[in-house]
Amino acid sequence: METSNRNIRQEIREKLDDEVLRGALGRFAEAYPISRAKAYENVEDFEALREQIKQTKLSTVANIEAVADRFEAEASKRGAKVFRAKDGDALKEYLIKLCEEKGVKRIVKSKSMATEEIHLNRDLEKAGLHVKETDLGEWIIALAGHKPSHMVMPAIHLNRQQVSEYFSKELDKEIPPDIPYMVQVARQTLRTEFLSADMGISGANFGVAETGAIGLFTNEGNGRLTTSLPRIHVVVIGYEKLIPTLKDAIPIMRTLPRNATAQLMTSYMTMISGPTSALVKKDGAWVEEEKELHIILFDNGRLKAAKDEKFKEIYQCVRCASCLNVCPVYTLVGGHVYGHIYAGGIGAILTAFLNSMGDFEKINELCIGCRRCTEVCPGKIQIPDLIEELRARAVKEHGLPFSVKMVFENVLANRKIFHSLLRIASIGQKPFQSGKVIRHLPLFLAGLAKERSLPTIADTPLRDRVAKLTKKMDNPVKRIAFFSGCSTDFVYPEVGESVYKVLQDLNMEVIFPEAQSCCGKPVLGMGDQETTKRMAKKNIEAFEAVNADVILAACPTCTETWHITYAELFKDDPEWSTRAGNLAKKMREFTSFVAEEYEKAGRLNATAGGTKITYHDSCHMKRALGIHAEPRQLLNAAEGYDLVEMKDCDKCCGMAGAFGVKHTDLSMPILKQKLTNIQDTGAEVVAVACPACMMQIHGGLDKLSPEIKVKHVAQIIAEKLKD
Amino acid sequence: MKKICENWKQVIPEGTYGPQYWNEFSTRASAVSAEVFRVKTVAEARGVISELVKSASAKKAVMTQNPYAKAAELTDLFRSLDVEVYTEAPDIRTHCDTADFGISAVEFGIAETGSVCQDATAIEDRLVSTLPPVHIAFFNSNYILPSVQAAVEIISGVFDRGYLSFITGPSRTADIERVLTIGVHGPCRLVIIAVDEDVAGGAQ
Repeated sequence: METSNRNIRQEIREKLDDEVLRGALGRFAEAYPISRAKAYENVEDFEALREQIKQTKLSTVANIEAVADRFEAEASKRGAKVFRAKDGDALKEYLIKLCEEKGVKRIVKSKSMATEEIHLNRDLEKAGLHVKETDLGEWIIALAGHKPSHMVMPAIHLNRQQVSEYFSKELDKEIPPDIPYMVQVARQTLRTEFLSADMGISGANFGVAETGAIGLFTNEGNGRLTTSLPRIHVVVIGYEKLIPTLKDAIPIMRTLPRNATAQLMTSYMTMISGPTSALVKKDGAWVEEEKELHIILFDNGRLKAAKDEKFKEIYQCVRCASCLNVCPVYTLVGGHVYGHIYAGGIGAILTAFLNSMGDFEKINELCIGCRRCTEVCPGKIQIPDLIEELRARAVKEHGLPFSVKMVFENVLANRKIFHSLLRIASIGQKPFQSGKVIRHLPLFLAGLAKERSLPTIADTPLRDRVAKLTKKMDNPVKRIAFFSGCSTDFVYPEVGESVYKVLQDLNMEVIFPEAQSCCGKPVLGMGDQETTKRMAKKNIEAFEAVNADVILAACPTCTETWHITYAELFKDDPEWSTRAGNLAKKMREFTSFVAEEYEKAGRLNATAGGTKITYHDSCHMKRALGIHAEPRQLLNAAEGYDLVEMKDCDKCCGMAGAFGVKHTDLSMPILKQKLTNIQDTGAEVVAVACPACMMQIHGGLDKLSPEIKVKHVAQIIAEKLKD
Repeated sequence: MKKICENWKQVIPEGTYGPQYWNEFSTRASAVSAEVFRVKTVAEARGVISELVKSASAKKAVMTQNPYAKAAELTDLFRSLDVEVYTEAPDIRTHCDTADFGISAVEFGIAETGSVCQDATAIEDRLVSTLPPVHIAFFNSNYILPSVQAAVEIISGVFDRGYLSFITGPSRTADIERVLTIGVHGPCRLVIIAVDEDVAGGAQ
């Protein structure tokens, strides 16, 4: 395993302090969703297109060798020379030898991420070759000596002044920071390069096995010049870009430009099958002759990924980078902190396979699991799940840091110890506590509470209150086992009280299995599958024992964990898999369950009211559970309230489990945006249906606008019920 | 000139194309900064070209040998306007970098995206449409397909060898501060002249 001595926290702080970067990314994050939506206005069914891409890539990756053989055979039949390069060294050796044999001195390149992956230019230059990147952004970062900070817009981190400085230095004359002027300077400078190049190197967006054709999407025209003017054209294409037929390219053509740059089509979409002619100067005259076409099929970890049951999913990536554009973390810090050339969530995964696991382990925490990327990905890649899987593998291989492991194995996996510690904490926090939140923390912990108050541990946890709450029912309509989750149990027991009140009002019996403990998600999030399994088994046993009709949680993360994660966790263990599966069927989330019951009872009618209330969609509630209409129905039906929507209501609040505490620097700007959006609505109350979001927003509002109250949906509907 | 398909008109099935897609095509193409002209006859097209030459003060043109150029007698027209014109591959290669206009024919339009589909297997087609600052593209206004899907279905029936492009507006970049800037390595202007009349020998 490669490791590096990067100080990731330091790098993040530097990026957060880079005003040019923050400004550019901030504006982009605002503009992108709007322009993307506009680009899709004449696409009838995005879901169908991305399902097609997924299915095409799934069937291709299952037969990758056969598809590659076909591609090679068809391309060769049409006169291309195909070379399979297993890694960067093999590719470079082939290319440098080719240049020697053919007398190549000058090379122009249009965009190719695969060659950047292996720092090809550096080695070609070492071999004495003259190499020029011709995509404007790529040329700029080559002059700057930077890595790309975005897969589609590699120089997004630089402003016009910085670009003019690099141009002035390269051309040895003053170039003013005027964008159209600088673009013309690039045109003139690089035009000479195109006209005198012996070889053009391009990437490819897709490769068609049935004809050996390749497809390229470009905007500047450099792709057409690179593939037309020089007498030799070399295509570098990763195995993941192969598709069986030309028709399989249709959904790629319809989604890639729309997702990448919000264009219906790039200026040039080019398909090349076999060598075409070039004009070559002989004895002072231009003579037409067939050019040489070399196609390098590039492996460098891709074939290993193809055989991996989980990570074959990376073949579904079309490199549109839309996952970066909607990522709350990427849009704060940009691409450089991701270390290698691929940025964002998908970049973290590609880096693990195409570069090194060591690099991944440095950056894996930068995914907060909010799943916004999964809504826009044209390949339907479940990026957060892949990252979680990689974390688990990293932990299996290298283990957790000793202190963390100690806590997980000895504290979290042991309910009694964990809960005792929480009770002690409730007393220990007293000197710092003011009301429901901790306003000041001693010394080294102070950073945590700078812009956000931390919640206090309740004096009396929910589990000690349930005896008093539980009503005697004569003929209950349902028997509900409540899984409270840690936050409701120990931080917001009043949410649990409201849940009891609402359910009992529906004439349902509520029971609280005493042996329940943390669902395990925070532990799994750190990659520790074994401890999570132990915790899951304890919970499963506790709930089997009570034999309820419904298991209910008022936390989307707990619900998801019971609903999906437990079954996956035990997929190789038939007994526990069945037991988890049986309980998963009974699992319900609070708001959707109550909305359904209210609907049946005719209690879901919208009412008017004077108090403005806004609703924050938790990432997991909306994108993992698909629940967003139901809490709004309940709020609309709540007397005395007037529901108003906030901007970006479903954007992450920045808590994301342990992330919010561990990466405070990143969490705070995300929270701030959320708070601003809440304030802008003029609402007096913000409703949530997730205790973790509640903690984050509560802590932030406490510092910024304590007059705005945060309430769980359960509390809002319970308010109006008689005791 | 080499082509992917000798007669594109024959491979586009009746009923899959037509002028009913013109409005959408023209709106989408204009939205990406293409300059769109629709003319009834090649004689009218000569008028458009004359105006373009005058307004741009063009002095030199490179042009493929295509049916529209022949039917509209564009070589003569350019000469009468004092514009040098080159139509042979070696000459095009010599002059494409300094020419003001590049003129070619394309096969059909795509309404969904405002693109034109160019069979660019011949090197001349690529040189005239990429290097000069203005590319003028002729096609028959009837040959508009509704969608990318329809276009690729037709292409996949004939595309065995060669070079094919969808051209959608002029060359562009947003690589500096995401500011859209037209005209990077390719043309700064894409002028589309769609001709209603069927040009004899216009089987592209």
